[in-house]
Parts: sequence; C-alpha cells; structure tokens
Amino acid sequence: MAYQTQDPLQQTYDAVVVGSGATGGWAAKQLAEAGLKVALLEAGRAVTPSEFTEHMPAYKLKYRDHSPEIARTRPVQKQCYACMEYNYEWFVNDLENPYSTPAGKPFTWQRLRVLGGRSLVWGRQSYRFSDNDFKAASRDGYGDDWPISYADLAPYYDIVEKYVGITGAAERNEMLPDGQFLPPMKMSCGEIQLRERVEAKFGRTVTIGRAAVLTQAHNGRLPCHYCGPCERGCITFSYFSSPFTTVQDALNSKNCTLITNAVVSHVDMDNASNKASGVTYIDRLTRQVKQVRAKSVILCAQALESTRILLNSSTREYPNGLANSSGALGHYLMDHVVGGGASGHLTNLNILPNANEPQRPNGIYVPRFRNTPSSKSRSPFLRGYGYQGGAGADFNFSAEGYGTSLKKAVKEGVYFVGLGAFGESLARWDNFIEIDPNLKDAWGIPALHINMAHGDNEAALMEDAAASAAEMLEAAGAKNIREQSRVEMPGMAIHELGTARMGHDPKKSVLTPFNQTHDVKNLFVMDGASFVSSACQNPTLTMMAVTVRACANLIDRFHKNEV
Amino acid sequence: MNRRDMIRASVLTGAVAATLRPTLAAPQTPPPHSELTPAQSGVDASNEFNVPNWKPLFLDEHQNETLIILSDLIIPATDTPGAKDALVNRYIDLVLAAETSENKRAFLNSLAFLDGESIRRFKAAFRYLSREDQDDLLHELAYPRTGSEWTGEADTKPDVGHTHFEALKGRIMTAYYSSQVGTKELGWDGAFAHGPFQGCDHPEGNHK
Repeated sequence: MAYQTQDPLQQTYDAVVVGSGATGGWAAKQLAEAGLKVALLEAGRAVTPSEFTEHMPAYKLKYRDHSPEIARTRPVQKQCYACMEYNYEWFVNDLENPYSTPAGKPFTWQRLRVLGGRSLVWGRQSYRFSDNDFKAASRDGYGDDWPISYADLAPYYDIVEKYVGITGAAERNEMLPDGQFLPPMKMSCGEIQLRERVEAKFGRTVTIGRAAVLTQAHNGRLPCHYCGPCERGCITFSYFSSPFTTVQDALNSKNCTLITNAVVSHVDMDNASNKASGVTYIDRLTRQVKQVRAKSVILCAQALESTRILLNSSTREYPNGLANSSGALGHYLMDHVVGGGASGHLTNLNILPNANEPQRPNGIYVPRFRNTPSSKSRSPFLRGYGYQGGAGADFNFSAEGYGTSLKKAVKEGVYFVGLGAFGESLARWDNFIEIDPNLKDAWGIPALHINMAHGDNEAALMEDAAASAAEMLEAAGAKNIREQSRVEMPGMAIHELGTARMGHDPKKSVLTPFNQTHDVKNLFVMDGASFVSSACQNPTLTMMAVTVRACANLIDRFHKNEV
Repeated sequence: MNRRDMIRASVLTGAVAATLRPTLAAPQTPPPHSELTPAQSGVDASNEFNVPNWKPLFLDEHQNETLIILSDLIIPATDTPGAKDALVNRYIDLVLAAETSENKRAFLNSLAFLDGESIRRFKAAFRYLSREDQDDLLHELAYPRTGSEWTGEADTKPDVGHTHFEALKGRIMTAYYSSQVGTKELGWDGAFAHGPFQGCDHPEGNHK
C-alpha cells in the first residue's frame, strides 16, 4: 500500500479493529479521529464504485439472475434476495466458508467479505430501541435487562443518525423513539389508505419506513435518485455504507491503516499481563500468517464471527474460549423470527403500474403494538413484533390464462398491499454456537457449529402476526387476502445478535456495559454479539450507537492512560 | 432543465457525486477480474442469443420447435412483439442447460405432457396441430379445474394438466418479461432515475 510510509506490521497500534462493516467502520472513524493509531482489518478486498451495477437492466445479465455460478458457489448466500447475478462476488463463497448445523436445525448465515461487509447490501431500515426493550425483563419477567438504558444510548443514537442520515417521520410512539430525521419519503395511496383506516379502527401506527437513505444532500453525499436496487451499489452514495463514509473518514484522518485480505484467526494474548497483544491473520490470497500488534483489540466482525474468533483464541488460562470465564460465550444467539404476515389487493384503487415510476428504496413500518405499556390486555406470548410492508400498483405476472388477454392483464396490474412481521427472538441459552472440531474454512480456521431453533414463543408471534395483518388489511379494504403464518429458519432475518452478551455480572455475561470483556481489560466486542435481547426492530442502528458509545469510553480511558 | 432532468443528468455522469466526496485515501486499484461478477466487470450479455446459426444447448429440435410455438401462443405478438420475437426459447434453453437434472427432467416432462395430451386428443404432436386445435388444448389446460357446481362435490384430484401448463407458462413469462423486448412491453423508457417518489397526491380519502 503506497500511502503507508512504513510496514504496517512493524508498529504497535493503539487499536486494531477487526471488520470494516457498519460497526467496524464506526470504531475506526471514532478512534482514528480522536488521535488513536488504528489498524483496520478486513477479511475481503477493497471495493470501488466502478463495480456498482444498480443501473444495469436484468437483460444484460447472461442468465438474467439465474446464474448457475450462484447455485454452485453460493447455495447458502442465495437464500437472501440481495445475493444476485449482479453482485454475488461480494458474498462469501460457501465452498470456502463452511459451517455446520445439527440435523433438523438449519441456520442460514449470510456473509460478505469485502470492504464494508454487509453495509453494502443491507436493508437500511433504522429504528431505535426503547426502554420497553432494554428493560423488558423487568417488565415481563423473562430473561435479563440490558445493563444500559435508553438514556445511556440516546446521545449516541443522535450522533449516528446525524452522520448517517436517516429518513423518517416522527410519530411519538411509545415503542419506537423518534430520532434525528431527514425529511420522510412519501407514502403511496394504498399506504395512506392503510394508515388512516388502521389508525381509526385499531389505534395502531402505520408510518413510512425509517431508512439510512438520504432524502436531501447530507454530509457531502447526494440524495437518493430512486433507481431502486441499493444492494447493487449506489453511484451517489445515497444509502449508508461504511466504505464511502466512516472508513473513508478514518483513512482521511491519517491515523488509520487499512489492511485488506486479512482473515483473522485469533486474538494474541500476553498471558503474563492477561492482556491482548494483537491479532493473527492469514492473508486471504497468499495464505501467509501475519500478526498485527496493538494496545487494544476490538472485534467488529459480525456477531458470530467475533465470537468465533474468541472461541478460536483459547489459551491455558481460557480453555473454553478467550474471555469466557462466565461460560456464556457463544450462548443466547438470536435472530428475529420472520414468516408471519398477510397480503392482498386494494381493488378500489384504479392505478396502473408504471415501469417509469421512481423506485422508493423503503417501505412502511408498523411499530410493535402487542404487550406495550398501554396495551389493555396481555397477549398469550411474550414481547411482540413489528411489520414492514408496502402498497403499490404492480404488474400482474400471476395473471391467469394465456394469449392476448394475458398480455393485457399483466399491464393492467394489481394494486398490492402487504405486511410482513419481524418478531422478537427470545434470548435462550440453548441457542448457541461452538467450534466444530471437524470443520475448517479454506484458510484452515476452525469453523462454527451453529445450534439454533426458534421456539414456541416465536411461533406464537408469527401466528398472531398473520391474523393481525389480515385484520388490518381487511380494515383497509383489501380483497383476496392471504395469510402466511410460517416460522422461517433462523438466520433468514439476517439480524444475528448475541453470543457475547453484555452485563454487570462477570459470572453471567461476557462484556461490560462498555463492550469490554470482563476477563481481558483491553479486549472489546463492539457489534451485535453484545446484545442482551433482540427487541423486534432492525438492529443495525442500535449496533452502531452501541459501538460509538463504547468507543467514547475507550477514548476517554486512553486519554487517562488506563489502557 | 427541470429538477427531474437535473437529477437524471447528474446521476448519468456521476460527476457531481465524484466531486462531493473525496476519493478514498487508499489508492483504489480495481480488484482482480476473477473477483468480480461479469456484471461488475461491465459485461453486457444482452445480444448473446441474437446470433446466426444458433443451436440449442439442451433441447432437441422437436422440443425447441414445440417451445417456440407454445411461447408464441402464450405471449403472442400483438401491436407489440411477443415471446417468439423475444427469443424466449433460447433463454430457456440456456438456463435449463445449467440447471439440476431434476429441474431439467421436470421441464421435459411438462413439455411431453403437452404432446401426450395432444396425441391422445388429436392424434398428432402439439407442434403439428392446427392453430384452432392448439388453442383448444391450451384453453383446457390454462384454467384450473374446480369442483362441480352441479353436484356440489369438490374435485379433489390435483389438476395435473394445469400444473404442467403453469410450469411451462412460468418459464415463458420469466423469459419474456426479463428480456429487452419484454422490458419495452412494460413501458420502461430506458432511464434508471425518474425523480423522487411522489407518493399519493390525491385529496384525503379519495384515492381514485
């Protein structure tokens, strides 16, 4: 790397950050801008705007998104809509990145190894958690409270939102705190009809989605041009992805050294001082083993990957995984339950589909309305769910018949309305990851055995979500309503959380409320692994706020010479 | 130039975007070709079917001819081109050639079902029937059989013919509407940005 004046491996950094996605980008930016010398490690390659494909029509693809190459090399990754013939090289090759699951307990693990990680292709939905989530255990008796409260995190939500740019509308909803919003995107006719009638009949909120997409120029980035498929890149950088924002700021500070193709295998320990001394990585391309030395080690590799690194870092002092004196490392894996909802047609809206309509990269959102402080009754399940959805005129590709009438019916279209639930995944000890002693990835690093299943509560949530969605669509005047009450396999929400939970008690948790491991004072996990409960809101915004809060604390300790 | 045109122009060139954010401090060398998808390397495969002496990779001549005729009946040329003009048979052949043997078998089975029914009723394979007879047969398969209203008995047998029809139709629909011809049929003007999403501009409670 030409911009480095010295060998990046011959110095000791203040911090090494593992992972360059939503959280790693933030950690690198905050620490480097505060003057710390940072090494940012990414397992994949760098990414350039020249490889964006958001403006390429499907007919230019050889297989028009049915490429056999995806089926061959990404059988797991293609279970996510975002892994396409356009961009599948951003996703990991499943043949090189195996993991195992017990018989009858499938788990789909969606991963990217490229600068920015999943922030390149994420769904962008951004919602705050509230104390109904952070203190849920105190309210309903299940599980554990977070060691932090909404008040602790609110200032950091502000920082993240102001920088990222979140479009949304304030609703003053008790379950969904408002934030620092850019102007909201508009709702369609059908969505307004749903909003009005659901409010009138049930008193429930239907709001425009809160998304990390710009609706006006913001921090040097242009507003969205409504082309649609964000997951293929964005020439105007209008949706938030770390390579073109946080990582770039970190590099611009001159205090951050980016090392790509660095597949971290484990944390190095200085056993005498019980401190982490850096990390060992394998060069993705040359397979050379290298080390980065640092005064603090910060894992932002994604919940399961960060914990995998700790499990693979066992020492004589920590035989069951580094920083695992509690035994809780790997446990309490969560992923929002999906599969419940309903769809239908708003036949009163005579609006034709239009291939030239601007494509809004955002939907509508219904915040949780079950088991809230103002709920009149308790539901026969714990916690609740929120819906994402939308309504609009679509071409009717499922029109019946054939011939001239079929061609005509396709263009006449249908006015579609749908709601799909994301339910809270209860934290359970029995949902866990461990190292599979018989399985290694292409770099020789022991792979994970992922043991997770949704339980009765998640199934009950989806059943209720299907029935509630149907009654809300009916109230909105929908016809041909179809309920769906399934429990998709874990991993499908791509909201993996937990496995290195934070807490006050070192006997029951892995991390302090500032994401430092209880056992090793200069070792941190600043990603979704730290979550105590999952809430039902999309977690990335909260992950970023938790990271920025933990970084503020770490910077403070560096200034006091405590690291 | 109105606002919409301005946005379109700025997006088209990318120039505005490039000036707004400084480029990454690290020199950005393009990744090795092998780590990009063909699309990310800028490969345009849209004209690959449009070659003289095209030969199917997977289908035999009879299957290919049957597929062409069937696709033309399902999505005919009207005032706009149909499935035959969009060369849907060539796309379907390409995709099938790369699919699992299970999917291949299922497709051929559906095509064979069509011929079987045709021979049973008209004593000739589907492609050799008159247009009227082809239409007659398709009409019978195109709509699901439901229970008899006369007897009140539900027809519990799965409608095998309709299932095969839908499988073939699905392939043809996907191939047609993902083609350049099909994209035009839906009215796409070729631009990828059409200004901000305007949403509902109807007066409250009146979304007609």
